[in-house]
Amino acid sequence: MPAHSAPLWELNNIFKAFYGVQALKSVSLTLYPGEVHALLGENGSGKSTLVKCLAGVHQPDRGEMLHQGQAVNLHHPVEARAHGVATIFQEFSLVPSLSVAENIYLGRQLRYPGRVVNWGGMARATEQVLQRLNLHIDPQAIVRNLSVAEQQLVEIAKAISQESSLLIMDEPTAALGLDETNRLLDLIRDLARQGKTILYISHRLDEVFAVADRITVLKDGRHMITEDRAKLDIDQVVQLMVGREITQHYPKVHHAPNPAFCLEVRGLSTRKGVNNVSFEIRRGEVFGLGGMVGSGRTEIARALFGVDAHTAGEVYLEGQRVRFRSPAQAIGAGVGLIPENRKADGLFFNFEAHPNISVSRLRGMLLGPFLDLRRERRTGREFIEKLKITRNAMEKSVRYLSGGNQQKVVIARWLYSRARLLILDEPTQGIDIGAKLDVYNVINELTAQGISILLISSDYPELLAMSDRVAVLRDGCILHVTEAKHLSEYDLLAIASGASSVQAAPAGVTG
Amino acid sequence: MRIILNGLGQFFRSAVAGPLVALLLVIFFLQFTSDRFLDEGNFSNVSLQVSVVAIAAIGSTLVILVGGIDLSPGAIVALTSCSLAILVKERGYSLEEGIAIVLLMGAGLGFINGFFATYGRIPAFIVTLATFSAYRGAAFLITDGTPIFSVSPRLRPLFYDEWLGIPRPFFYTLGLFILTWLFLRYTIIGRNIYAVGGNEAAARLSGVKVNQVKLLAFVIAGVMSSIAGILTSAQLNSGSPNYGVGLELKAIAAAVIGGASLAGGAGNVIATLLGAWIVAIVQNGLNLNTVPASWQEITLGIIIVGAVGLDMWRRDIGEFVNRAMRLVVPQREPPPYSPEGGAAPPPLSEPGASP
Repeated sequence: MPAHSAPLWELNNIFKAFYGVQALKSVSLTLYPGEVHALLGENGSGKSTLVKCLAGVHQPDRGEMLHQGQAVNLHHPVEARAHGVATIFQEFSLVPSLSVAENIYLGRQLRYPGRVVNWGGMARATEQVLQRLNLHIDPQAIVRNLSVAEQQLVEIAKAISQESSLLIMDEPTAALGLDETNRLLDLIRDLARQGKTILYISHRLDEVFAVADRITVLKDGRHMITEDRAKLDIDQVVQLMVGREITQHYPKVHHAPNPAFCLEVRGLSTRKGVNNVSFEIRRGEVFGLGGMVGSGRTEIARALFGVDAHTAGEVYLEGQRVRFRSPAQAIGAGVGLIPENRKADGLFFNFEAHPNISVSRLRGMLLGPFLDLRRERRTGREFIEKLKITRNAMEKSVRYLSGGNQQKVVIARWLYSRARLLILDEPTQGIDIGAKLDVYNVINELTAQGISILLISSDYPELLAMSDRVAVLRDGCILHVTEAKHLSEYDLLAIASGASSVQAAPAGVTG
Repeated sequence: MRIILNGLGQFFRSAVAGPLVALLLVIFFLQFTSDRFLDEGNFSNVSLQVSVVAIAAIGSTLVILVGGIDLSPGAIVALTSCSLAILVKERGYSLEEGIAIVLLMGAGLGFINGFFATYGRIPAFIVTLATFSAYRGAAFLITDGTPIFSVSPRLRPLFYDEWLGIPRPFFYTLGLFILTWLFLRYTIIGRNIYAVGGNEAAARLSGVKVNQVKLLAFVIAGVMSSIAGILTSAQLNSGSPNYGVGLELKAIAAAVIGGASLAGGAGNVIATLLGAWIVAIVQNGLNLNTVPASWQEITLGIIIVGAVGLDMWRRDIGEFVNRAMRLVVPQREPPPYSPEGGAAPPPLSEPGASP
C-alpha cells in the first residue's frame, strides 16, 4: 500500500455526453503514484468513457484534469502519452504484419544519427522489456503469427516500454489463460512497487480483489464509491455495481409452459470457445444467456446458426437432428439471428427498409420467376406499421434511420422469414427506451405465437426480466441454469464474474 | 405495362438521371463544334463505336456491384476473337457453332476469374490482373502472334447490317442492357448481387450464398466479354491477339461514370450504358474536330475524375450551397435535440468522494 503522497492525477467533476446521452455525470477520480486502482462498473457505467478522457481519446465536456497539480487538456492520445499515460485497450492496437520489436517501437523507432533505424538496438531493448515481463517471445516474430494471448502480452510490453507513469489496462486478462493471468497480476504488483500507477479495469472481481489497492465503482455514469480494498468485500462491490433497483418497466408476458422442445443442444463444443454446452428451449420460451463479454454467449449463437463448425455435440431442432454448415441452411430450417453488431453484420445500407426485410426470404416475393416489387413494398409497409418503424423508412437508406428503427428493420426480416427460433444478440444495445419497449413487445408477441427466443444481453435487468429461464456462462461453459425469477442480478453478476463459485448445476430443465 | 411505367418513374428519380443529364449536356455542346455531329450517319457511327465497350461494361458493372473488379475483358476479347477465327477458318466449324463455342469459352474464362476470386480467396484485382496477362498470352500462343484475316463472309454482316436503318450492334447493345436491367431488378439473384456488394457479412447471415453470387457475376462478365470479342471479329472479319487492348479500362470507366461504386452494392446498368455513350460521344466529337488521339486519352481521364468527383463531392457541394444560403437567408433555429423527449439537464450533485 503506497503512502498517500501527492496525487499523480486528479480528475474533478468530469462530465461527458454523446449525442444527448450523458455518459459521465460529475465523476471524480484521484490516482496516487504506486497504486493499483481498480475501476469497476457494469457495461455502460461510464468506465470506458472515463478512461478514454485520460487517454486523450475523448475530451470532457466539463470538469478539470490535474496532472501533478497542473491543469491539463488532452486533445489527442499523443498528448496523453507525453504526460506519461499508456493505455492497453480491449481492441488491439498492434500492426499484424510487423514484428514484435517493430510494434513495440512503432512511431518512435530507435535511430542512429542521420535517421537510420537502429535495428540492433531495438531488438536488444525489446528483449530487455520482454525479459522484464518474463515473456518468452521472439522479438523478431511477426505479430500475426502469435496467439491472441501472446498478442495481448506484447501489447502490455509495448505500454510498459514507453516508460510511462500511468498504465491503463482495460480488461487485460480477457484473452489470457490462468497462468498468463497470474503472471500479469505479479507484473502489475511489481510495476506498482516501482512507483508506477496502474488503473485496472476488469469484470473479474476475483482478480480485482487479488491485485487492487483501491477500488472505484461507477454506476450509470455516476461515481458510487472510492475505497481501500481492505475496507470492502466482494458483496458490497457487487451491490454497488448493481445499485438500487431500477424502476424500469419490463412488459414481460408469461405464457403457460409448452412441453415441446424447440431446440435441444447436447454437449456442443466449437473451436471458437464453446465448451460442452447443453440446454434446451421450449416452444414459446425466452431462454437467456448471461455472462461477461467473451464468456462464449455470441459463440453459442454462431455455432447454432451454422457460422462456426461444431467439434462435438448434437443439436435438435423440433426433434430433428440438424447440422447446419451455413447460415443459409439454418435459415432454411427456421432459425433467425439478429447479430450483435447490426451495422456491420445486419443491415444493407445500400437498401431502403423493404429490401432489408425481404432479403432472407426473397422466394416469398416471387410472381412466376420474377420479384413482385409491389408486393415487397406492401409487405414492407405492413411491417413498418406493425413494428412502429418510422414512416419514411421505405424512402431512404436504412443508414439514416435511428438505432431503434434499424434494429426493428432487422427484427422484421426474421418475422418475414418465419423463423421458429430467433437468436437475439444484444437486441437493445444502443437504442432508446421507447424502441427498447417496442423490442420487448415484439418478443412477447413472438413467444405468444410459439416462436422460441435465445436472448443474449449484457443488460442484466433486461435479461432477467425478459427471459423465462437463464443460463449463466463463464469461459464457454454453462455454470448454472435456472428460472429467471429465481436468479437475482446480484447472483448473476457474482457467478459470471467468478466472485461466487457456483458449481455447475445440472443443465437440465428446472420447474 | 404498369410495371414498366413504375420502373420508368423510379429510373428518372434515381441513378440514371445524373448521367442522362451529363450525356445531353455533352451532345448540346458538341453540336456547336461540328455540322456533322447531328448527322444520321454520325449517330450510326457512334452506336457502332460504343457497342463493344458498352457490352463489356455490362460485365464490369456486375462485377463491381458484387464488390469486385475485372481487368480481363480486353484479354478475353483477344482470345475469343482468335478462337472464333481458328474454329471457323481452320477447323471447319460453321459460324453458328463457332459462336456458340466461343460464348461457352467466355463463360469458362469468367468462371476461372470468379473461382479464384471467391473460393480461392485471392483478391479479384490480383486474379484478373493475372488473367489479363495470361488470356492474351494464350491468344498469342494459339495464333503464333499473327492475325487471322477473312474468317467468314457471313461474319461482317453481324456488325455492319442494319435493321430499320440502324446498325445491328445498337440493338444488340440495347437488348443486352435491358435484359441485364430486368435481371438485376426482378430476379432473386439480381437482388442478391446488390446485397452481397452492399454488405457481404450481412448477406451471408441472411442466407445468401455469397460465393455463388459473386462467381455468377464473373461468369456473366466473361460471357459479355466474349460477345464483345465476337463483335470485334465481325467488325474486322478477323481475329487478332492485339484486339481489345485497353478495353477493360474503358468498360470500368463507363461503369463509374454511370455512378457505380467500387465499394460494391451501388450502381445501375442503364447508367453504365449512358456512361459508355458519354465516353464514345466525347471521343466522336473530338474526332470530328480533328483533335489528336493523345488529347482524346487525356480527355477521357478528365471525364472519369470529373464524373466520379462530382458524385463524391455532391454532398459537400450541397452543404456548401446550404451554408451559403443560410448566410443570405435568415432561418429559424431548429429545436434542440433531446433523446427522450425533452429531458432535464443532468443534475449537478454527487461530487466524487475523495480519499
